[in-house]
Formats: sequence, structure tokens, C-alpha cells
Amino acid sequence: MSDIIHPGAGVLYMKVGTHAKEGLAEIIERKRREIDQAGFAMWGYGGSTCYPTSMVQPFARAFAAKNEPIHLVMHKMNSRHYAEQVRAARFSVDGQKWETIPEAINVLGSRFALMIKDLREHEDELDLGATRVAVGRNEGRLGSRYVQGQADKACLIVTEPELVNAEHKKVKIDLVAELIDPYAVFLSER
Amino acid sequence: MSTVRRQIDLQVAVNAVSDVVQNRPKPIRSIDQIYMKTGDMVMQAELVAHWADKKKLAFIGDGDAISVCVAYLKSEKIIDYGPSQITVFDFDERQVQAIKSFAERKHIRHLDAELYNTRDIFPKANRFDRFYTNPPWGQSNDGASVHIFVERGIEACGYGGQGMIVIADDEELEWPKRVLYTTQERASDLGYFVNRMQPLMHSYHLDDDALLRSCNLFIEALPGNPSRGKSKAVDKERLKNFYGRDQNLRMRYIRSNRPLTLEGADENEWRPEYYEDTE
Repeated sequence: MSDIIHPGAGVLYMKVGTHAKEGLAEIIERKRREIDQAGFAMWGYGGSTCYPTSMVQPFARAFAAKNEPIHLVMHKMNSRHYAEQVRAARFSVDGQKWETIPEAINVLGSRFALMIKDLREHEDELDLGATRVAVGRNEGRLGSRYVQGQADKACLIVTEPELVNAEHKKVKIDLVAELIDPYAVFLSER
Repeated sequence: MSTVRRQIDLQVAVNAVSDVVQNRPKPIRSIDQIYMKTGDMVMQAELVAHWADKKKLAFIGDGDAISVCVAYLKSEKIIDYGPSQITVFDFDERQVQAIKSFAERKHIRHLDAELYNTRDIFPKANRFDRFYTNPPWGQSNDGASVHIFVERGIEACGYGGQGMIVIADDEELEWPKRVLYTTQERASDLGYFVNRMQPLMHSYHLDDDALLRSCNLFIEALPGNPSRGKSKAVDKERLKNFYGRDQNLRMRYIRSNRPLTLEGADENEWRPEYYEDTE
């Protein structure tokens, strides 16, 4: 347990690696520059497990209403993500109204993005058996049951470790950031 | 008396359902359109066809296009039972157009679709014998989304007949149990009882839903069940969290921007990259 990962905390867990043909080290360096210049960065992602309007935004807002942060906690992995490096030109909070992405921000080859600040290396451990899915159809499911197979990201609430018959699945956390309002957005190349 | 089931040619049935799948528009995640897996659709369509044999069947919403599968299996004589009439009520114009167009191309005369949002007064009350619904699953409003779809189905059947409700079913999670409970309670309030339940039947095309299943909940009207009055529009208070937490029902219709293209990918999905030495 730590300042970030403790019972009651909200975390968005994500496995990260190469994205759109760009290595993780380069991505981190680029995102830090963006945070320095624009005050925030957009962390691109895809899939349907953390859909902006139905999953990430309600999850984050519930914690914001309690004046508690949501951290993006990331586990480095080897991945092969060969999507084209197409820069998103516009973003939308609700999928209806679109705004231009500031020039300083480059988010590539993604359908969605998390709005983040304070991106940093941070060594930690997340026991997925001591988490529950926080939102969506799987709300309440044990994190270790959920994050298996193809699920590589999840909105989780950290709980006390299960005492009996729990599936303990500890994952290393290498990188963290804090989510900022509006937390997650849709992206468009046009 | 319903028709006796015989063994069906599975390859022909799967290929027929494959035709239907090819005909469907892409799902819109923000309004809970999530498609059932194809194998489950084949099983479900055969089951529905037998359950509603020779009956007039209303679909209250049908993103999966089970209605089309049911109608097509019968019209292609892959099964020799099925509803005498199928009408789909859906608020997605793309789905309505896809169903009408398929029915026209395949000469399926007993299949039709109408644009309709369950919030509005039901336009064809008391004209059906059975209803089928796979509604938004109501995890954030204690099943209110399910109840509204079920109420429309009950109105379609004039507070008689039977309904098949496809909703979440999970042995670990709490919310599907609560929704099953409140749905049975609401059906009971309206004079229906649960006459059968098939647990953990279907899985869906979702990368986070490898574990989640849905069940078939069958309800039937008590003999002589009286009408509860004319259909009314749904109060806006019941539309909160309709599609999930903070996801209220706001859209009346999903309008179609372009005709359905069945032959291949949408032009927005691809671009050509040419050889330089050819014209």
C-alpha cells in the first residue's frame, strides 16, 4: 500500500508499451514536454473497457465529488502496437461537440485519450485481488478476475485484501499520472 | 399447439445468420448497442421461433437483429416454425432501415420495423401475442431501463400473452441479481409471473465482457389479467442513468446519415495507396 494505492483509492490501471510504432521511453519524454508546455497531456488509448462517457468520466467524477484524485497507474510491458502515427486534430468530451487540440499536444493513432498531469516514474505494486471494478457492467467484480485475457485496462477501486479464497495477482506499477477534468475524451483525425 | 422441432442443418442455419450479421449497422457503444455472439444468435433465434410459433411477435428494440434471424430461418425453410408476424420497434433508424431492406431483398413478408422510442406512447397496443426485448440492462438505475422496455412489450400484448426478456445474469456481481429481482417485481405488479428462466445463456462482442452473460427470463400474463389503461409517455425522472451511471436517455432517435452499404466497408474507414508506376 502507498499514497496512491490504498483501500478506498480510485485507480485506472493500464498496461502500456509501444504505441503507434513509438517506444514507451519516447512517449513518456514527449508527454512530459507537453505537460511542461500546455499544463496537461493526452494519453491515447483504445478498446472498449474504458469508454470515456460511460466509464472513465463517471468514475472520475465520483471521486472528484469527494475531493479525491484518480491516478492512472501503468504497468510497462512489451507490446506491438503498429497503428499509424496519425495525429488527432480534435477532441470531444461528449462525442458531440468537438474542439481543436492545442498544437503543443500530439496524440497519435488512438480513438480516446486520458487527460493527465504529473506523469512520473513510480515503483509500486497493485494487488488486483484487492481491487473491484468501479463502473460499468462489471462493477463489483474482483479486479483479478476482470483483468485477464484481453482486458488490459480497468477503472478500479482498491479494497482491503480478500482474506479467503482470493485470487492474488500482484502487478508491478512503473509509471503514474493524475487524471484531470474532463478525464477522458474522444479523438478525431479530422 | 406448436410445431414439433426437428434437427436443423447447422451449417445452413449459421450461414443464414451470417447473412443477417452482414446486414447490421455497426453498434453504438454509448447507447448500449452490443451484439450477441453469432453462435448464441443461432440458438436464440431457433428458440424464439419455436416459443412464438404462429404468434404475432413484437420486438421492443432489437440491435442484435434476432427478429431478422427468426424470420429468415423460417422463410428459408431452415426451420418450419416461427411467428406469423414480426414487428420491430427501435429508435435507431439505421436498424429500422436495415431490417426493412433485408425483408424486401429476401422477400420476407411477415417482417417489418418501425421507428419508435420507448419513452413515447406505444403506437400499436394490444396487437401482439408475444414480445421480445434485450434492453439496456439497467445496472445504474435498479433496472428501470429494463422495466420501461418490458412495460412497452406488455402494452403491445394488451396485458396478455407472454414475453421473453434478455438481461444480465452473473453469479458474482450484485447488480444483475437486483435487476432480475426488480424486473420480476415490476412484471408481477403488472399481472405477470415468471414461467421459465434460462440462466447464463448468451455472451457478447465486448473485450471487457468475457465473463458477463445474459439470461432468458420468460413471463406470462395471469389468466384474465386486466389492462392498466392507455399507454403513456415515460416521465423524465425515469430516464436518469438509463444507459449507465450519468448516461441519461436524451436521444429520441438515432438518425441515419447515409444509406446502408452492404457490399463492403464504409468509405470513411479506408483510403487507397497507389503504385506510382501504374495509371
